[in-house]
Amino acid sequence: MKNKKIPKGLRDLLPEEVRKKRIIEARLISLFASYGYKEVITPTFEYLEVIEAGTGNIREELFLFLDREGGILSLRPEMTVSIARLASIHLAEEKFPQRLCYIANVFRHVQPQLARYREFWQAGIELLGASGVWADVEVISLAVKALKAIGVKDFKVSINQIGIFNSLLEDGSLDYEDRVRIRELIEKKDLVELTRLLESMDIDEGLKETLVKMPVLHGGLEILDQLPYIERNARASAAALDLIEIYEALKLCGVIENIVVDTGVLRGLDYYTGIVFEGYSPDLGYGLLGGGRYDNLLGKFGLDRPATGFAIGIDRLALIVDEPCPTSPVYLVGGRDIGQVMKKCEELRLMGYVVEMDVERRSRNELEEKAGTVPGCQVVYID
Amino acid sequence: MMQDYLTIALSKGTLLKPTLKLLEEAGMPVEGVTEDSRAMVFNFEEEKIRYIMCRPTDVPTYVEQGAADLGIVGKDVIVEQGKDVYELLDLGYGYCRFVVAVPREKDKVNLRELNYKRAATKFPVVAENFFRSQGLQVEIIKLHGNVELAPIMGIADMIVDIVSTGRTLRENNLVELVKIMDSTTRLICNRVSYRTKYDQIRPLLESFAKIIEKGGNK
Repeated sequence: MKNKKIPKGLRDLLPEEVRKKRIIEARLISLFASYGYKEVITPTFEYLEVIEAGTGNIREELFLFLDREGGILSLRPEMTVSIARLASIHLAEEKFPQRLCYIANVFRHVQPQLARYREFWQAGIELLGASGVWADVEVISLAVKALKAIGVKDFKVSINQIGIFNSLLEDGSLDYEDRVRIRELIEKKDLVELTRLLESMDIDEGLKETLVKMPVLHGGLEILDQLPYIERNARASAAALDLIEIYEALKLCGVIENIVVDTGVLRGLDYYTGIVFEGYSPDLGYGLLGGGRYDNLLGKFGLDRPATGFAIGIDRLALIVDEPCPTSPVYLVGGRDIGQVMKKCEELRLMGYVVEMDVERRSRNELEEKAGTVPGCQVVYID
Repeated sequence: MMQDYLTIALSKGTLLKPTLKLLEEAGMPVEGVTEDSRAMVFNFEEEKIRYIMCRPTDVPTYVEQGAADLGIVGKDVIVEQGKDVYELLDLGYGYCRFVVAVPREKDKVNLRELNYKRAATKFPVVAENFFRSQGLQVEIIKLHGNVELAPIMGIADMIVDIVSTGRTLRENNLVELVKIMDSTTRLICNRVSYRTKYDQIRPLLESFAKIIEKGGNK
């Protein structure tokens, strides 16, 4: 078999990469556990109907295949939908809120490049069955704590309330086609065309100005003053009030240095209903984490409960944090009698050392020579 | 550490001259920045500005990946590549338009009659999307340059290309049948830099906007 190809966008992880990944995972899981989040595992693939019930139409990004009964299956593109499905089956009778967490590989058919692979790893939490500011504040604080625990420097978590944008878009003065077009341009981040489109439309000037500015404003709560039209739309005002309350609460929780209000954060997936947030580091041109409130998703599976959560990209964290390799001594144990050699190895292992047995049955001199090439390596030879 | 630098990817070629003029007008350092030198990176330590000199088609890639915070490049390139970047400003210069052009003898042809025909182009995404939006099935033939040659040599029935004056079309006996869209030079921005380096980007945005409003830099 000489074919060495692997499918586009997939990778092998070598020992040094896996070591770093495991350290990151262990820190995240123990942090999540200290907040009461319990780890679950869901299947690697699901029925397409299940995935689409939550994410909306992202079929272009899915890896799809058929089972023998003709059902369409999809490799999971993210974990929140699977957790919602899991909760609706197994947790319906339980007391809420429930706290769940996961580490999982997810799959998306994207154009591969640095920090963007077709199989990548996420760690995340979901706080199920809790509405209100306190639940959102727990989840956002935990996102900040997670990036701190991994040692990410100078990061920011940008927060927004998706209800502000959605309510303004549904404002009576916009017709259906305009809404679709505005949403499309904002998602494409084409602010030039957005400005032109709004200028050409016969709608309230305040609404225009607010829609033009929303994608680019970030800072503290004062940025909301630059979006005057919000006050004239009852649902947008309610959403803005929610954002203000959450921001004020985050101040009291000691994480505000890392928080930015950013009305440009919209998140791509369809299921978000309230607060949304993304984490960024100046060291990487891509987001590190993303999440938010999704109060209608569990209902799609028959369990009508609010929920909020986030996921962190482990591969992206690994690109920007250093985990220096510990240089604890390694023993190389050789000799003539396998029984005695093995016994010595076990003794040293019990003392906590990393021990390699010389399976090539070298002489003492050869063994010393080999050890000389490995930093911190010590030889034990048993005659 | 390059992190405190603001890195701007510049397009080599026809856009470079008006771009440097705009930067200079906005009070940015441009001394010695040229595509004729062997250097591809230009650092201005005092101002904490760095330029990188790229092929126009590479500018969105450098910006999307965060190697450059900002980029200056034509809308034609942006729309063809569809990278995940912010498009912040229309800088106004470098006008051209995407057109469908056919050999002169077919200038009376209706767009519908081009269904199931072949179009040669350097912009397969733009071409494909346009024909699809018209409900037409057109075979796209991707070429890397001298697209006008394709109808002459009989490998395509029409071309989709960018034109500014239309001279190249005329010289090759082609006529513009439909305009697909206009294109001018844009300022693009990495989606993280826009958040983490906003304090450095904002003054630049404001002075660019002022210059454009005055109608300068055409």
